[in-house]
Amino acid sequence: MKFPFPLLLLGLVTPLAAAVDFNHQIVPLLRKHCGECHTGSKLKGGFSLNDRSALLHGSENGPVVAPGNPEKSLLLELVATADRDQRMPPKGDGLSAAEVSLLRQWIAEGLPWEAGFAFQAPAYEPPLKPRAVTLPPAVAGRDHPVDRLVDAYLAKHNLPRPPPASDSTFLRRAHLDLIGLLPTPEEVKAFLQDPSPDKRTRLVHTLLARDPDYAEHWLTFWNDLLRNDYGGTGFITGGRRQISQWLHEALLTNKPFDQFARELIAPAGDESRGFSDGIKWRGEVSAGQTVEIQFAQSLGQSFLGLNLKCASCHDSFVDRWKLDEAYGLAAIYAEKPLEVHRCDKPVGRTAKASWLFPELGNVDPEAPRAERLRQLAALMTHPDNGRFSRTLVNRLWHRLMGRGIVHPLDAMQSEPWSADLLDALANHFQQTGYDVKRTLAHLATSQIYQARSEVLRGDANAPVFPGPRAKRLSAEQFVDAVWTLTGTAPQKMDAPVFRVPPDPAAGSRLALTGQWIWGQPPANAKARPEGDPFLFRTEWKLAAEPVSGAAILTGGESYTLYLNGRKITGSDRGEHVAALPLHDKLKAGSNQVVILAKPGARSPAAGVYFQAEVRLADGTVATLQSDATWQFSPGGNAGREGRLGALPKNVQPVVVVDPLPSRVQGLARQGPALLAQGRGSDGRMVRASLVKSDFLMRSLGRPNRDQIVSMRPDELTTLEALDLANGQTLTRALEQGAAGLAARTWASSGALITYLYTRTLARPPSPGELRAAAELLGPQPTAPAIADLLWALLMQPEFLYVH
Amino acid sequence: MYPLLDPHAPPAIVRRDFLKQLAAASAAAWSTGVPQAVRANSAPVVHPPAKAEACILLWMGGGMAAPDTFDPKRYLPFEKGLEVARMLSTFPAIDTVVDGVKICQGLEHLAQVMDRATLLRSAVQPDLGSILHSRHQYHWHTGYVPPQTVACPHLGAWMAKVLGPRNPVMPPFINIGQRLEGVGESEELKAFTTAGFFGAEFGPLNLPFPEEAAVSVRPPPGMDAGRFANRDRLFRQLVDANPDRDRMSDYQRQSLLRSMDNAYRLLSSKEREAFDLTLEPPEVQARYDTGRFGRGCLLARRLVEAGARFVEVTTEYVPFLHWDTHKDGHETVARLHREIDRPIATLVRELEARGLLERTLVIIASEFSRDAMMEGRPGSTANDQATFKVDTLSEMAHYGLHRHFTGGTSVVMFGGGTKRGYVHGRTADERPLLAIQDPVTVMDLHATIMTAMGISPKTEFSVEGRPFYVTEDGKGRPVRELFA
Repeated sequence: MKFPFPLLLLGLVTPLAAAVDFNHQIVPLLRKHCGECHTGSKLKGGFSLNDRSALLHGSENGPVVAPGNPEKSLLLELVATADRDQRMPPKGDGLSAAEVSLLRQWIAEGLPWEAGFAFQAPAYEPPLKPRAVTLPPAVAGRDHPVDRLVDAYLAKHNLPRPPPASDSTFLRRAHLDLIGLLPTPEEVKAFLQDPSPDKRTRLVHTLLARDPDYAEHWLTFWNDLLRNDYGGTGFITGGRRQISQWLHEALLTNKPFDQFARELIAPAGDESRGFSDGIKWRGEVSAGQTVEIQFAQSLGQSFLGLNLKCASCHDSFVDRWKLDEAYGLAAIYAEKPLEVHRCDKPVGRTAKASWLFPELGNVDPEAPRAERLRQLAALMTHPDNGRFSRTLVNRLWHRLMGRGIVHPLDAMQSEPWSADLLDALANHFQQTGYDVKRTLAHLATSQIYQARSEVLRGDANAPVFPGPRAKRLSAEQFVDAVWTLTGTAPQKMDAPVFRVPPDPAAGSRLALTGQWIWGQPPANAKARPEGDPFLFRTEWKLAAEPVSGAAILTGGESYTLYLNGRKITGSDRGEHVAALPLHDKLKAGSNQVVILAKPGARSPAAGVYFQAEVRLADGTVATLQSDATWQFSPGGNAGREGRLGALPKNVQPVVVVDPLPSRVQGLARQGPALLAQGRGSDGRMVRASLVKSDFLMRSLGRPNRDQIVSMRPDELTTLEALDLANGQTLTRALEQGAAGLAARTWASSGALITYLYTRTLARPPSPGELRAAAELLGPQPTAPAIADLLWALLMQPEFLYVH
Repeated sequence: MYPLLDPHAPPAIVRRDFLKQLAAASAAAWSTGVPQAVRANSAPVVHPPAKAEACILLWMGGGMAAPDTFDPKRYLPFEKGLEVARMLSTFPAIDTVVDGVKICQGLEHLAQVMDRATLLRSAVQPDLGSILHSRHQYHWHTGYVPPQTVACPHLGAWMAKVLGPRNPVMPPFINIGQRLEGVGESEELKAFTTAGFFGAEFGPLNLPFPEEAAVSVRPPPGMDAGRFANRDRLFRQLVDANPDRDRMSDYQRQSLLRSMDNAYRLLSSKEREAFDLTLEPPEVQARYDTGRFGRGCLLARRLVEAGARFVEVTTEYVPFLHWDTHKDGHETVARLHREIDRPIATLVRELEARGLLERTLVIIASEFSRDAMMEGRPGSTANDQATFKVDTLSEMAHYGLHRHFTGGTSVVMFGGGTKRGYVHGRTADERPLLAIQDPVTVMDLHATIMTAMGISPKTEFSVEGRPFYVTEDGKGRPVRELFA
């Protein structure tokens, strides 16, 4: 048996009647034997004894000490047990008998604790509510709020102010950051020659006003963050749903971010459900990955920058989140009572719906699901939820400056390198009405955004901000650049989106040609089970493959559309007019069109309306509309996993009906403009963000969107470099581009080189660059030589990074 | 009863190894700038001494029927009216060079090398409630059942990450024979054919067509060596002539140039020849060339000789094709016998002749087995996916093992320190053909494979503040009896 330290020995010698000395006996004992794992930010087994309340709280299993009752105190049992596997601490010789006695006495005395004592200062806890920030005074005329805060920060940390970036660096950076496209040579020339002092600010606003280009660039960011894609796991089994159309439109119209979040958390229709619905795998999944728990994880990560993954299986060992808190969120989403599981085993209690920050209010666990989700959405976007706005502005800052104010972005529990900056930006964001574009403009018009990026020599992870940092070109930006340079963009996109917003002017030239149809069940039909939908069908034969087009649909109490047996869209609100793109859902030949619509008690014969128009690959236009030729069956099988069930054999002609006036008006108001979207093709190049990932894009870091991704890898790997060196896709594109360039007339090879430098780097070549390139090209540049110069340019660090 | 002292308490509470190496609760744990931060654990994990330097996984994608390959049961030939309930194997058994060990007719070449083999007949898969091939494949290749909160790395990526390359010029992880575009479930396949959170540096070089492998390590088609060198030289000249060159000297630029260097080096190296099957003598090519898979085996041998760490060769998973027989099982498997038999036997013999077999672990495996009647295993709720749900046979298309069976399957291993001429475990002789002796889970099979490669089954990396282990939660235990 080991003898305790002399100090403790002295303590032991005193009569037992004397009280335990917390400061001199208990503190050293606990620190020595327990501190490494259970104080400060350490929470092994979910247990901390950093301060008295933590000690009393206990571990995930509940209290470990019963004040006044040593025999009921687990802590005592653990330090004293002979079972080596169970004993605490796990390493070393453990507590001596004397030390155990001390603890026993301490517990018996009710755990006296020095007031205010904690073993370590509590870990940083980020604030919840917005915090007013007093802006420091402007320095040297830089009175932009961001600059005032950054100047104060740099001064405080004795960091030099980075000088401004050159015009061409700034031009290229703003283009790539805000719309993801390289500036054209004309744009380069105009900008470099523009003498006005506010040209940079005007550039920012001009770029942000290019709505479609903006939307299709930021689609990549949001697809990553909301785990959305046009292909991926779960699509073949119907376990995953896209939000592409809704998302693209939200970006096109710069939907306010609070509304955006509310529509994702409490979706009104199918179009924005895909994020909160998660990915449902066929069969059994572990308790920590059910769609309900995925909901909690996704919500936490995307909107709050929190990691609830640990807390999905047990109280987190690395931060404050508890199993019940993750389950609380999950229970809001759950359709049935949700049994709490720890490490995949049920613990015997049901999760109670609750929100993570009850200071703002809470969700009513008794409310029906739709209402619970609405309440959650309101709490998430509550004006006092500063975390919501801070998380988003931090992401936007990262996009533009190369590193977050809190970094990594999904570690929002960490301390920012400037709380003032983060809070001021969050406040500004809220004050604009959660306007993302205005916030981007706010950031991009600051001087610091226009400064030269830092030269990263030392620790890339040091939590200081010396200035903007260069960012690696995303896969989509790279591919867009290649397509632009070489003219090899595809003709068709995969994303089921309209590239133009609803167009009332174009709509006014479009007639509604369909009829409202319904069905008359046979008089002798058995009483149908309530809720069985009516099924309407027709066949649509197309002479060639569709290239573009749209359909609109509305009707019933609720409706669902199936094309060729696959569920496409639907709505629980029959009066909603759905618009869907058709370039990717139909084929040449016969197409089966099926609508399931539920009759309502209130509007039994509401009628269904459908109209579609497609432009085919052979140049012709085909149309389809609901009319008397369609067929009706009283009772359709909605099938499963997104596939239509077997079609009923009982078929009759539809009945043309007079629909409710409100429905007619709704259709007349919205229908034509929505349908006209299918006609819109403004001649812009298809963007990489609108097509499915391929080898080249995967090589360049486009992620498999099975998990949420908020930051992509910053470095090019060897395998990626290999693909760039000899991959088929890039090689073919360069060959084609080079052929096109070789066919043009150039004043000299120098002119060609200058054109290429301007196109790729927004600047003319230096004499050394000109010389090297001219040497390879020779006086009569051939296509292969041009292709090689193109490649060499595309591999330049200056090209692959946004400086 | 105090839960902590309860032997039936959830394992997480009493798991000591995890308690030892917890990451600090701060951004420091994550702040490497990499999206999914990876940090080698700080407390030392003791790696076992390696028995193998390289690993070749011969993947029978689609569910290889054990009773029709390595675990023959009672055989009944096709005849009209035969009850499906009586069918166990559709091939008779043949002797091998190991006394008392039989495998199926059609695998005569493999029968001659079973004295170099360890035949595990009791590998088992979890019952996931529904059979989705790619889910079981994901589980087999990463050790984790999807969905997962992080992107899980493939076995090959683990080896690449922990062991590094054998030859720095060669990609450590190479995947042969599987198309990842344009085939069913390709998205699900891609989900596990990845280095996951380790980052693309440890990902696979994908070579779906072995005969075209040489192309992947050559300059682009149409570009000769001279032009390729000139292009690379121009690239470097332009880097050097950049007017802001000094300001851009930083780690981003350095790492980019390093990757470009590595790629260029491979594309101009001698090691490239390993990818070129035409450099092999014709008589050797002929021994392997039963089709794409056979050619892949030859390529695997060459790549391992040139220094690859992990090579997977698959017969290719395509839903309803090849091993994934939902009808015509017997005839399809007869064809697959021909495709795999001679090449695998030749691979084993040639590795042996080159003195490489001892230190190369060769594995034949599949995501589960098949049965004539049972889907999943007894008690499973899995949907019956056989094309013909008949009770008696009336045509040849009905004759075969057309349902997925997860209760017991065969894994064959050669080399890498495994026993020679040894059978481990067994399955029942009557339906259900469950593993009834020495069942080995995927987790323990992985622990065995990793142990052979010199990687502790408890090896972990910290990702998003969570320790992530090479075997599920670090619980994998190697099956010692499989090693000599």
